[in-house]
Amino acid sequence: MSLKDQVKSMDMSGIVEMCINQEQQAIDLYTLARDQAKDESARQKFQELVDMETVHKVSLGNFEIENYIELPPANLKVTDYLMEPELKDNMTTQEILILAAKREDKTARMYQDLADHFHFDKELNTFFQMMADEELRHKHDLETEYENEFLQEG
Amino acid sequence: MKRERPQSFNTVPMKERLTIPRQDMPEQDATLRSANFLEVNLGLTPEQAVIEAQRCIECKNPTCMEGCPVNIKIPDFIQLICNEDFIGAAKKIKEDNSLPAICGRVCPQETQCEEICVMGKRFEPVAIGRLERFVADYAMQHGNGSEEIFGKPKSTGQKVAIVGSGPAGLAVASDLIKEGHAVTVFEALHEFGGVLVYGIPEFRLPKAILREEVATLETMGVKFVKNFIVGRTMTIQELMADEGYDAVFLGLGAGLPRFMNIPGENLNGVYSANEFLTRSNLMRGYEFPEWDTPLYRAKHAIIVGGGNTAMDAVRTSKRLGADEASIVYRRSEEEMPARNEEIHHAKEEGVKFMNLVNPIEFIGDDQGSVIAAKCLRMELGEPDESGRRRPVPMEGSEFIMDVDMVVIAVGNGSNPLISQTTPEIETNKWGNIVADEDGRTSMDGVFAGGDIVSGGATVILAMGAGRKSAIAINDYLKAKVRSSA
Repeated sequence: MSLKDQVKSMDMSGIVEMCINQEQQAIDLYTLARDQAKDESARQKFQELVDMETVHKVSLGNFEIENYIELPPANLKVTDYLMEPELKDNMTTQEILILAAKREDKTARMYQDLADHFHFDKELNTFFQMMADEELRHKHDLETEYENEFLQEG
Repeated sequence: MKRERPQSFNTVPMKERLTIPRQDMPEQDATLRSANFLEVNLGLTPEQAVIEAQRCIECKNPTCMEGCPVNIKIPDFIQLICNEDFIGAAKKIKEDNSLPAICGRVCPQETQCEEICVMGKRFEPVAIGRLERFVADYAMQHGNGSEEIFGKPKSTGQKVAIVGSGPAGLAVASDLIKEGHAVTVFEALHEFGGVLVYGIPEFRLPKAILREEVATLETMGVKFVKNFIVGRTMTIQELMADEGYDAVFLGLGAGLPRFMNIPGENLNGVYSANEFLTRSNLMRGYEFPEWDTPLYRAKHAIIVGGGNTAMDAVRTSKRLGADEASIVYRRSEEEMPARNEEIHHAKEEGVKFMNLVNPIEFIGDDQGSVIAAKCLRMELGEPDESGRRRPVPMEGSEFIMDVDMVVIAVGNGSNPLISQTTPEIETNKWGNIVADEDGRTSMDGVFAGGDIVSGGATVILAMGAGRKSAIAINDYLKAKVRSSA
């Protein structure tokens, strides 16, 4: 069954639960990567990502659609053309940022696709749009950090 | 504390001072110099230096000193130049800055002391950097080294190891030797100077100037050891426990090149700025074949970046014989972090500027050598936290250009060797050593400063950090004596 068909068969609390699971998968991945990282700086960076995804997961549990304010972030596209690094135990902070930004980008696209698909259902459309914006906001923050640290051009 | 004003030797009436034009520094002709590695700027003449010094309006509250990271007594040395006491002026600078001939050449004075010179509010600022360079060169040529200025202090019997002979390390060495400590500088490479020797080309900072400054420190008693990699040849723990060093200063710099992570960066002909400049500067590739370091003579070299390192690399590639040498920068010239003087000189030498362009892939031939760069055009969006407008890719603007050499100059990170071999020293998520404002690290007796703490910055900021650490190290050593008494 496609993701869209799955969504169709769920009620709102099931959809929120599905998104929480998505966040949990990211938390699990970054926790594993943190524990396997050889370098202290990489461990710190993965921990930051775990914290970021945890905040998002918690906020989803308290989600109320009436509180959503549409404020799409700018897509800086800083990492769009970069090569996606493999998850490994000796990643640099630069690679971790690229990996995380690309993951956020993919997830944002997935939610944007769902938002567009359910354009006729205000509640679903707004929910998925909010999710897409949130992922893009994460990407924006990660790319800003990337730009500040790795594109100094000094 | 109120600062005493220096004795005035300026005989030019105040109103007339405002009409004296800022003295231009003579320089090599652009066409000639773009084919040689001799120094571009030739320095002020004594007559010009006195005229320039006479432009100083002797402010009651001179702001210029606040703009200098090592707080050189600028008004004082300028007055000594007015009195034609050039040696006295050099001594005055060396009270606060052990490397004036270097700082006079590579400091960004236009964003430091000269930026807040009161004269600059309505007229052009006093050329403080040119004056610093002039007196430093004059003192060097007239054999007046720092050892004569400071004499030989009484030995404390305490030993300090300095790791890295770049600007931070040299500043610490200079300050601590004056306190009577036994100072040894350990350098990983085969020449001393760190980024000053491997990073800055001969045409901007002649190696002879650097060697002279190092020789002065040697005369003052600093011991220099080369080809010694702390973390490999010997660890910090071994230096302290086995070799008896009472304190260690880490001034390793930011020597780890960063890449863009785009396809094709591993092709032949794609260099990091670090490798390219090290081959030319440290390994004397610019003197090939006398020195056996070959460097490719490009038809079209592109240098990615907009800082001073990018300018050094593009001007080097031009001098090595590139038919065409271009800067490829993803922002506009207004946002370029390079010094205006370097951009100006590069343009004079025929360097092409491709601004608002960003490479997204390098394309190779069947031999694995780069033959083209796929690029995107950018447009400027909203300003970022630094105030620079942020570049955003323009959809559908891709284009391909022929290139046969690429130099990536987007910045440097810190070498992980120390953090890997000395886990007691805390590092941050960027791999920089965590130190307080006086350079104290998480390991007792170990201090750090310069680019290894702050990330890539300027020579003078590294020196400023070194000087702060030197004070803290001196305090630490005194306390150590007291506690063992």
